[in-house]
Amino acid sequence: MGPLIPNGIITGDWNFVIAILLGIAFGFILEASGFSSSRNIVGVFYGYNFVVLRVFFTALIVTMVGLLYFDYFGWLNMSQIFILPTFWQPMLVGGVIMGLGFIMGGFCPGTSFTAIAIGKIDGLLFTIGLYLGIGMFSLAFPLFGDFYNSGNLGNVTVSDITGISSSWLALTFTIVALAAFWVTMLIEKKVRKRITEYKF
Amino acid sequence: MNRNYIILTLIMLILAIGTIFISQRQFTKQVPPEELLWDVLQPTRFVSTDLVAKRIIEKDPSQLLIDVRSASQFESFSLPGAINVPFDSLKTSAAMAYFGNPGTKVVLFSNDGILADEAWILLRRLAYKNNYVMKGGLNGWIQTIIRPLAPAETSSEKVIEQYNFRRAASMYFIGSKTDVNKSQKAKITFVKRKKSVVAAGGC
Amino acid sequence: MHVHDLNPKKTLWAVIIFLILIVVGFLTMRSPLMTYEENIAQSIQTVRDTSSYYFYPYELTDVLNHQNKDVVLIDIRNKYEFGQGHIPGAKSIPSFDLAKKNNLEMLKNFQRDRVKVVLYANDQLDATGAWFFFRQVGFKNTYILLGGYDFYAKHASDLKATKKDQNLFLKGISRYNYAEVAKSSTGSVDNQNTSTKPVVFKRRKKATVAAGGC
Repeated sequence: MGPLIPNGIITGDWNFVIAILLGIAFGFILEASGFSSSRNIVGVFYGYNFVVLRVFFTALIVTMVGLLYFDYFGWLNMSQIFILPTFWQPMLVGGVIMGLGFIMGGFCPGTSFTAIAIGKIDGLLFTIGLYLGIGMFSLAFPLFGDFYNSGNLGNVTVSDITGISSSWLALTFTIVALAAFWVTMLIEKKVRKRITEYKF
Repeated sequence: MNRNYIILTLIMLILAIGTIFISQRQFTKQVPPEELLWDVLQPTRFVSTDLVAKRIIEKDPSQLLIDVRSASQFESFSLPGAINVPFDSLKTSAAMAYFGNPGTKVVLFSNDGILADEAWILLRRLAYKNNYVMKGGLNGWIQTIIRPLAPAETSSEKVIEQYNFRRAASMYFIGSKTDVNKSQKAKITFVKRKKSVVAAGGC
Repeated sequence: MHVHDLNPKKTLWAVIIFLILIVVGFLTMRSPLMTYEENIAQSIQTVRDTSSYYFYPYELTDVLNHQNKDVVLIDIRNKYEFGQGHIPGAKSIPSFDLAKKNNLEMLKNFQRDRVKVVLYANDQLDATGAWFFFRQVGFKNTYILLGGYDFYAKHASDLKATKKDQNLFLKGISRYNYAEVAKSSTGSVDNQNTSTKPVVFKRRKKATVAAGGC
């Protein structure tokens, strides 16, 4: 939990409490955004519903810009934020696999659990498959362990690699996201005209 | 409906543009002035010439001597194993590679210790740690290590012991040629800072 | 209206909360007591330009005779040392009190009135840190007394005469011909070798703290 534990404001024991609270909030937002319906989620790929893109892009740009402001106000120390290490090749392959699973299954790992929470059988089956997959991956890990750990760039951010300041990146990303909102809205309108039966 | 979207888009855009004006300071991370003043007033950054001499003789690999005088002064004389980073070059990134490496104690020195102290302050401002200043500089080096003054016979045991060490060190530094050459072999290796691997989560 | 379309009321609240947070941030931002007025390159230049901050001991005579009223001497040693002896007319501000608000106010007033502020301690080195710090935060009127109090105490009676022999108090010069003193040392030859060693560029790693995920 960011700056609070390393600075000794709260002890490490709070990690789990905070994790549970954040998890509940995350699940709530996913459900409130309608992500427990796989039709909503895969709508991105068929072009009739871009709510996934909108929710995640909104969260992204608000956080991005908000963190920059918080850092400026002195509420938060950006240099103490944890950054996941980047393994570029495995991440690229992993992204493709996840995307394929996304289209086929109709859920991403997080949303499958919210689907279970509202009693959906497809979500339940997806989760069983998820755990089977985790088990298979673990058993077969020695086969691709080397690849899994290759291409490590360390705990870097985009601005670390490119040298562009994070505020310019945030602005660029915001513009891209906002443009995407408008474009997808037009696509949605066009596609929905052709769909006769449209129900969630 | 559409009006709401337009307003939201505009708000987000304005906020994003605003970040460009606020976060200038992200380019160079500097220690806040109050903290710098506090550190500047602490005498803990000074190390004695005796300690530096001892570490050179012991070939302590963790000590990195940095001469902040000009290149021409450095050419004519410097401490064994020292690296020249002129004070003027402290703004270049090439010079910065020597500082802030884990496991390395950087000892700055100049003629009197004043320029070295000023270099220390600039480095501290740029948030570099583990730097030290050799008190007395090269003048102090000559006075204490190369030409130590014999203490009075009534001096305490500690003073006499220190004098004996300095005599020996003096022999070491201006003694035979081969002896000095050996001390050059203390290799400086930069250890890559280990990343602390912690449990990472994903969605 | 479709259930997943924008809900104007909820969105409005979310936006208002976000904006209020940012406004509160701007309002409650602590304005720092001091900010850096010089960048690193400028500070390096400051140190190079010794005439802009050296205050020579022989200049003290005018101050002590009250002929030069545009100079304020500040003793940054502790109160005890100040009590043991100080330059007449000097103000005592122990170094750890320098960052106090009223002292900073005072320094600001001196700067406004174009008064030279001369810092001194026992030794020039002891005052260097404080002097260099104040220069970096923008007090361009800060000077440093060469030789410090020790030199003054020794030469209080003949300050004028010290003008002839500046080597007595000047710092930063080499007092020995080092190469001569350490004749059999092979320092310079070997040092050339080490100095040509390629510099390894290394990005400093971010301090990693407890992990998070999405």
